[in-house]
Amino acid sequence: MNATLTTCPYCGTGCNFYLLTNAHGKLRGIEPAGHHPTSRGQLCIKGWNAHAFVDHPERLTAPQIRTNGALQTSDWATALDLVHSRLTSLAEQHGQDSLMFLSSAKVSNEENYLLMKLARAGYRTNNIDHCARLCHSSTVTGLVETLGSGAMTNSLSCFDETELIFVIGSNTTEQHPLIGSRILQAVRRGAKLIVADSRKIRLAKHADQHLRHQNGSDVALLNGMMQQILQDGLEASDFINDRCENLAALKTSLAAYSPEYVAKITGILPEQLVTAARLFASVNKAMIIYAMGITQHSHGVDNVRAVSNLALLTGNLGRPGTGVNPLRGQNNVQGACDMGALPNVYSGYQKVSDPETREKFSTAWGVRLPETPGLMSTHAIEAAAAGRVRGMLILGENPLLSDANQALVEKALRNLEFLAVIDIFPTETAQLADVILPAACYAERDGSYTSTERRVQRGRKAVDPPGLALPDWQIICQLLRRCGLQADYAAPSEVMKEIAALTPIYGGIAYPRLEPNGLQWPCPSSDHPGTPILHSAGCTRGKGLFSPVAYRPAKELPDAAYPLFLNTGRSYFHWHTGSMTRRSHLLDREERAAFVEINPEDAQKLGIIERQLVRISSRRGAIRCRAQLTDKVPPGQVFIPFHFAEGAANALTNNALDPEAGIPEFKVCAVRVEPC
Amino acid sequence: MLKQLNYDNLLQLLETISTDYALQVPTLLADGTRLLANYGSGELSLTGPPLQRKPTSAFFPQTELLLTIDVEGQVHLPQPEKPVALFGLDRTDLAALTFLDRFFCAPPADDIYQRKRDRALIISLTGSAGPERSFLPLTEDNCDIEMSAVNGQYLALGHSELGQGFLDGFADGDPQQLEDLRRESAQQVSPAELLQQASRLLSEERVPDRFWKEIADKCILCSGCNLACPTCSCFGVQDRQSGHGTERSRVWDSCQLDAFMREASGHNPLGSEQLRTRRRIHHKLVADVERWGELGCVACGRCDRACPVGIGMLAVAEEIVRRFN
Repeated sequence: MNATLTTCPYCGTGCNFYLLTNAHGKLRGIEPAGHHPTSRGQLCIKGWNAHAFVDHPERLTAPQIRTNGALQTSDWATALDLVHSRLTSLAEQHGQDSLMFLSSAKVSNEENYLLMKLARAGYRTNNIDHCARLCHSSTVTGLVETLGSGAMTNSLSCFDETELIFVIGSNTTEQHPLIGSRILQAVRRGAKLIVADSRKIRLAKHADQHLRHQNGSDVALLNGMMQQILQDGLEASDFINDRCENLAALKTSLAAYSPEYVAKITGILPEQLVTAARLFASVNKAMIIYAMGITQHSHGVDNVRAVSNLALLTGNLGRPGTGVNPLRGQNNVQGACDMGALPNVYSGYQKVSDPETREKFSTAWGVRLPETPGLMSTHAIEAAAAGRVRGMLILGENPLLSDANQALVEKALRNLEFLAVIDIFPTETAQLADVILPAACYAERDGSYTSTERRVQRGRKAVDPPGLALPDWQIICQLLRRCGLQADYAAPSEVMKEIAALTPIYGGIAYPRLEPNGLQWPCPSSDHPGTPILHSAGCTRGKGLFSPVAYRPAKELPDAAYPLFLNTGRSYFHWHTGSMTRRSHLLDREERAAFVEINPEDAQKLGIIERQLVRISSRRGAIRCRAQLTDKVPPGQVFIPFHFAEGAANALTNNALDPEAGIPEFKVCAVRVEPC
Repeated sequence: MLKQLNYDNLLQLLETISTDYALQVPTLLADGTRLLANYGSGELSLTGPPLQRKPTSAFFPQTELLLTIDVEGQVHLPQPEKPVALFGLDRTDLAALTFLDRFFCAPPADDIYQRKRDRALIISLTGSAGPERSFLPLTEDNCDIEMSAVNGQYLALGHSELGQGFLDGFADGDPQQLEDLRRESAQQVSPAELLQQASRLLSEERVPDRFWKEIADKCILCSGCNLACPTCSCFGVQDRQSGHGTERSRVWDSCQLDAFMREASGHNPLGSEQLRTRRRIHHKLVADVERWGELGCVACGRCDRACPVGIGMLAVAEEIVRRFN
């Protein structure tokens, strides 16, 4: 047995494990890294099964080209020539911005950087984005404004010393299980826990307080807590005086948020709000943990601002055991953002609109670069549906299942004149492609990934890719060369050298320094030890900014025709669109088909029994799946995981977007449920 | 046959074994994890904490191809591989191996397991081989060579003919030294005592349902307790079809999962986390005792180390004894 240390391909926690291969070089198992600071000899069930899909017979093994409507096997040169010539001719006919590039939070930093370079320097468009648009674009926008950096401020080790953890909109034990377990460990040693979530998640069983506020009412809840803290005089005055600005405006904005007013909006009792506010403000060190429950709203950025305001108001920033801690969902969604797979920034969040930055990248890459920020992925889908975006290259994403309002996405993708998809499995999106390029998966290539705590760490190759499949970085390099750019990197480590040279926060990152446990950015120079805690001396932007926000309801609320709230998200056993987990035996066996969680009270009213097939419809579509009766969801709300193509939650969801971050309102729309 | 080997002799022995066997030795990996890996693939680690990966996985791996069925319907068994040699097992590892041997080799024997096991060479490693050369109690049986580190040397006792054959030619060992080690081993306190107490309390039904709810509420369903356990023997069967036919494999399973016993109808006799958590502990501490006459837990501590929320076997047993004794 051989053991190869690598980073888990699932969530953003950043666990490390060993891929175990047998004498024939076949992947046969997983062993958690015993001394890695994140995994510490432990994994969640997806980690323990992360080898299972790698050698699945449905892996893509050869390039395919659509000919007379059907996908036919091809060779690499033909397929890549076709991709390049079609993208080039569309750009010539309709302008560079008729192209869109979707990068991936599943591929390495180096691959994200190269795709960003391909879009900007190769095809001269800033139209590049990736699925952070659907998860934490609100965070990046909101926290850059208030603190100056859009990442988790603290480290996972902070759970060991915090006095209180406030989890809002994060089902942590299911979606970041090894972080969830740290929260449970903290509770066991005496830390307080407040959970704000409409669902009865596992953490709620261990919470000092569980606030079941209505989905979409986070701003009211957080504003109410802050107003109470101010009223009680529990704010951190010294911290605010020394390190923050704009308190007066915040105070004015909060005045209306009395416990009674908040109760009306959120559905929680006034005294619950008061107790939560006092508990939160009573400790010296509190961590706020949040995820999609905060970000996936048409007012997601406002939610993030409110979270940030609460941390600043109570001085919970820049110290161990505190912080604003957005949990990043994918293994490299932090890295994909860091690498500039975003329409408005190059790597390291350096703005496209800044002439000096543009000049720097332009000089390094040897081409003139486009000046105007590009399209967000959600806007690109709208543009494709309207015929303004005509060619798309999608790397390792499956928007047909993952984006809101599936009917619109399908119309958009079918409307494209050319679609190329690089992936490891024939996903629903790949089925619509004109060219499919087979990629190596995480276990088959080298690279680096950046976890939610900004830890840049290595992924390592343990086995060969199947058939003709190639590592993504090699595929992108082939296209870079076709664009006339140099791409002679011998290995991803060389790409990292280029990244470090152009990206101040990664300036000191180099492969030898990532052994064995990685480095946390910012790491600006080769002798810098990395930064476990951001904003310790001052905020990245200088003063912490109080950014006042007012409650705005979700865009679509239940009514007579569609009387129930729909909440969507992930389940514990599956991953996103299921392309990996539904091909992993144990995970697939655990949850084999689409389901909807419905409260027994609602089920009784609707005449629905356990496991009954039901029809769920919204203004955008309808699906069928089986009912799961559970008081995990409150009466009036149903929850559907979005993993299942045959019961796609996103056929129902609302693509109402946050005006600043462009994130869809995955967490709230109105549906009707009927027995089939 | 008792021999004494110095460090060079030991390397020489391993080198000899590796010519005919797929030899796995205690290896220190990049992040400090210590487990059995291919001889020569990393730093040989002769002292340290228990091997993280259960050594029984050499015979019952996490994923194992059982057979292939080609497009004509012909069944093909996997080609036999080089026999396995394992070096570095401690007393609990061997106890677990004995437990699994009994389970898989009892009639009707599991031929996949038995084929590998019958051809294997097992060498224990005890004595001054624990963390910072702390003492590990000797192993005695169910190995071919019993190796004990003492004063920088290795006492090697050949138990089987196969093991003795490999020891031919090395210098004789001092039987008194072995006797001293055995005496020291007998004085070691075993955590099995704690398990026996918990077992008794469970048998006497002194542990109420609310306790299991409390434990189950903490469980995040990682399945690590089962996967890390060297005596867990449950597996699921996975069939994968491709253009070349069907591959049937078995994969480690976990009784903590809902679908472990869920029926096609959706009914589940172990339909709650509370029931499944109780079963995990009860099975090893009560059911196995009734079936085999001994605990199903060898107190190796692997599940306690793999559990992210502190509800491994020893932790739960300790809690049971503390609260219900």
